[in-house]
Amino acid sequence: MRTTTLMITAMITDAPHLTLMQWLSPAYPVGAFSYSHGLEWAIAAQDVSDASSLRDWLKDILCHGAGRNDAILLAHAWRAPRSALTELDGLARAFASSAERLLETRQQGAAFCRTTAAIWGDELPELTYPVALGFAARSHNLPLSLTAAFYLHAFASNLVSAAIRLVPLGQTEGQAVLAALAPLCEEVAEQAQTLTTDDLGGACFLADVAAMKHETQYTRLFRT
Amino acid sequence: MGEALVATKARGPVTALSDLRSSGCLKVLFPRGNPERLTGIFINTAGGVTGGDHLRLRAEAGPDSHLTLSTQAAERAYRAQPKEVGRIATQLVLRGNAGLDWLPQETILFDHSALTRSLDVNMAGSARFLMVEPLVFGRAAMGERLAATALKDSVRIIRDGSLLFADCLQLAGDAQNLLERRAIAGGAGAMASVLLAAPAHEAESHLDAVRALMPDTGGVSLIRPGLLFARILAEDSFVLRQSLIPVLTRLNGALLPRTWMI
Repeated sequence: MRTTTLMITAMITDAPHLTLMQWLSPAYPVGAFSYSHGLEWAIAAQDVSDASSLRDWLKDILCHGAGRNDAILLAHAWRAPRSALTELDGLARAFASSAERLLETRQQGAAFCRTTAAIWGDELPELTYPVALGFAARSHNLPLSLTAAFYLHAFASNLVSAAIRLVPLGQTEGQAVLAALAPLCEEVAEQAQTLTTDDLGGACFLADVAAMKHETQYTRLFRT
Repeated sequence: MGEALVATKARGPVTALSDLRSSGCLKVLFPRGNPERLTGIFINTAGGVTGGDHLRLRAEAGPDSHLTLSTQAAERAYRAQPKEVGRIATQLVLRGNAGLDWLPQETILFDHSALTRSLDVNMAGSARFLMVEPLVFGRAAMGERLAATALKDSVRIIRDGSLLFADCLQLAGDAQNLLERRAIAGGAGAMASVLLAAPAHEAESHLDAVRALMPDTGGVSLIRPGLLFARILAEDSFVLRQSLIPVLTRLNGALLPRTWMI
């Protein structure tokens, strides 16, 4: 059994795409499907009601909200020595603008760390999601640009799936929105590598409000 | 250019000044009021901040003292020359059991303004910090649009030596276009962030009441124990004040400084 694990690890380190696909696939048990990042409220408030408003909402979150911030945090975690992780993770937590934002990054991060440690034997403390992923990617010699782009794409993909469950948006329309956002995922991932932690922040004020309002939303499918 | 420093100490139940310095365009007034709380009002005699200006404000509430700070008028971030940035740096320190209320009036961003602002708070776990930072996007009365601006507005709060909260509002380029968007500001002309960092039971005790005071375009959350945070957007600064005053009155536990009375 032990031998099998080691052999698999050796094969996977030669195939970064496959490791990333596994880590960021909806099947990897971080529980992404239960978080809507406030989108459930935005849909209830009719700020998002169709494919074009969904695309706009996600575009802003990628360029001016959690997408950009997470990519910056991920890039820093990828480069950081282990001794700097706690401080970086503290920064990631401090930037959570509401309880549900803190919940989603903490819980997904913790689940990612547990699963990855159990399979590959990584020594990962409980970290927020982008910090955990960035650090693990570096330990597995996975390239930063690809990791960040995959992360953003998985984030957008998860929110598109959430929207398909909540609005009369077909699978095909949803996938078309995701396809339209893919170049943006790459762009934000590239740009984030040139930024510092002083660049964290953004302008998604109403998306922040949506996540706050979601805390008391009457009927909800999602935890955030 | 301007600098100001205010420090307070407790003398029995009364809060007294222990240090006061100001230079350049910054002055501080202390209107008479409740002796248990000292209220300091900053005045920027330059009337605003333009590119290249640098304002530095520091305040320290000593153990058991209570300091309330506000501004005499709305701060104006004027049009800046290309490549020039106005800077405002505020540092606040709260010692054990101190209270500090940071309640400045609005900051109005003019078209083509460039402002980098930082608020750094270092507080003891037993202290109580209340903050509001209202921003107005352009001079609405003149129908001004923020066709170009560069705003970087950062808040960092350290409590008992560890980072509790960080935020940084960033607007660059054609801000009006950005502010129209639904995940950004939905066309709002003004916005405020409100924060209370206080002992856990107290912060939690305000959550339901503050939630009930939120407009459709505002939200509040108890992010973690002892940290309450709200963002409120409104069509203009007048409507924003109508939302803010009841919230701040509740969280301030006393009448607001006179500068906040409509």
